[in-house]
Amino acid sequence: MSQFQRFLAKRLAISLVLTLVAVSVIFVVLRLLPGSPFEALVTAGNLSPSQVEEIRALYGLDQPMWKQYVNYMTSLLTFQFGYSILRSQPVWDVLEPRLINTLILLVPALVTTAILSSSLGMYVGWNRGSKLEKLSIITTTFLRSTPVFITGIFFIIVFAYNLELVPAFGMRSVTASPEGYIDTYLSLDFAHHYILPFTIAVLYYSGDFLLLARNGVVEKKGSEFLKLHRAKGLTEMQQLARAGRNSMLPILTYFALRLGMIFQGLILLEVVFGWPGIGRELVLAIQQQDYPLVQAAVFIMALAVIIANLAADVLYAYFDPTVSTSGGGAA
Amino acid sequence: MSTESKSAGQIYKRVDEIRGFVRDQFDFLRQDRLAMLGVIVVAGFVFLGLFGPMLAPHDPIEEDMRGEDGSILRLSEPSGEAVLGTTAFGKDVLSQFLAGARPTFIVGLFGGIGTGAIGFLVGLVSGYYGGWVDEVLMRLTDLTFSLPFMPMALLLLTFVTPSVWLMTAIIAGFLWKMPARVVRSEVLSVRERTFVKSARASGASDLRTMLYHVGPNVLPIGFLYTAYGIAWAIAAQASLAFLGFGDPTMTSWGRMLRQVFESGNMRVAWWWVVPPALGIAAITTSVFLIGRAYEEVINPEIQTDQ
Repeated sequence: MSQFQRFLAKRLAISLVLTLVAVSVIFVVLRLLPGSPFEALVTAGNLSPSQVEEIRALYGLDQPMWKQYVNYMTSLLTFQFGYSILRSQPVWDVLEPRLINTLILLVPALVTTAILSSSLGMYVGWNRGSKLEKLSIITTTFLRSTPVFITGIFFIIVFAYNLELVPAFGMRSVTASPEGYIDTYLSLDFAHHYILPFTIAVLYYSGDFLLLARNGVVEKKGSEFLKLHRAKGLTEMQQLARAGRNSMLPILTYFALRLGMIFQGLILLEVVFGWPGIGRELVLAIQQQDYPLVQAAVFIMALAVIIANLAADVLYAYFDPTVSTSGGGAA
Repeated sequence: MSTESKSAGQIYKRVDEIRGFVRDQFDFLRQDRLAMLGVIVVAGFVFLGLFGPMLAPHDPIEEDMRGEDGSILRLSEPSGEAVLGTTAFGKDVLSQFLAGARPTFIVGLFGGIGTGAIGFLVGLVSGYYGGWVDEVLMRLTDLTFSLPFMPMALLLLTFVTPSVWLMTAIIAGFLWKMPARVVRSEVLSVRERTFVKSARASGASDLRTMLYHVGPNVLPIGFLYTAYGIAWAIAAQASLAFLGFGDPTMTSWGRMLRQVFESGNMRVAWWWVVPPALGIAAITTSVFLIGRAYEEVINPEIQTDQ
């Protein structure tokens, strides 16, 4: 085995163990929750005790804890998420459209901001000390440090309430009832609802990319290889392109990490805009104590982060020769 | 007698050192106008956090605001009675704003310090000792990275009654991973420097070398991440309160925003929205601006040029 292969194998093993531990943590936390959704049903007087027992048995809640744990592990890891208690629908049928709604909103936003903000960041890093640099840094600092729901509220007040350009809530008009994905996402009505949360997501993510790109170029600017390029007679832009290319790696890995976190949705953004995504669904499920839905949603979120972390580490180790692959994980 | 004057002299020297340090920091921050602005906002926020609840002219939760005819003022615009208007429940917005600074302040300060302190120690120990210690601590860091913060915090807060201190603990318990990784990689490079090796060679113990020789050299980055930790903690606290998972016994800025959002009055009652929203945005941005000013100095690679 080459060194890189060994590194890859180790990293894979770690990710697997992490998944198991994370899933177990979720199990422990969920079983610690007091009360069960059935209590609400029972106190509402709709069910007799024997009916309650029947349902508890149906969900396996009458079995000993270790057995529940084993069942839980096997079913989650084979993507059998079971039935949502309150929606009486398979969990995956509830989560899949929500997850897609989230991804449709955030993936394009992340890609857009990665390209735009990184380019701007490289440019202002090259022209260090300019007005544009100061302005872009203070703007993005404001946008990334302010909780996203506050930016959302400001934008809703200005663009939805005062200028009345876009709707403030939801993913489509109340009257619209599209069939199928193409009909849902390729309509003017959807675009109308899409533009504001999309813009905020772009702005929210912009700060980190801008700073990473700027710092990368600033670091490279004084380095030897650029002096050589300058001596060769390359123009400013050509030099910047070379400095930029060499600071791509942190941006790329950061992109991978962010992509993993997208599966959580931007919970606050989704709540403010009433966007029917996975983050908002999770908040609703937690409030209603819908165990199967909650555990499946958190599992998907954790899994996405673990996979993205793995991808980022491997990317780094593969492209950056200065990272020692024999050491433990990414330094 | 002589020993007393000697120790008094030492105290004076110490005070002078501290004063000199504070003056240096102040001079440094004055060069960066944005950071100076941040310092002013932070100072105002600290003042509100300490004394806000006492300054509130009315009780933020109990007391109903009444007009001249004795009727409860609901959603009234800013006026002489209520300088910042009233809420849909007839409460004084100014009082809520003043009182609401405190939980934000507590969680921000202690959440940030907790984040910085835990992260610094984990990073220091992990980087200094290496080997299996490093392996265990870093896998633990990976674990906290893979458990998504917001969902897990929401889950934890459903089965215990949320309190300010609990939220502080949860936030610090999840956010220490950030400084831990950065401090560790700093320690890895400091560890190899000559003065550390000579300390070891002259017989200093591991603990002494780590605390007296390596520690001080990575302290700046620890402080930087404590500052960021404060901003993160404030943002997290506000977000959790906005989602309805905040301390139910205390008015906070996040909770005010939740109430105006839930009651559907965002469209009309701008005077109810703007104070808490602006307060949170101003404090988080300010802390970050100060942090950035220091980062330019701390990060050795950025400061090479110019």
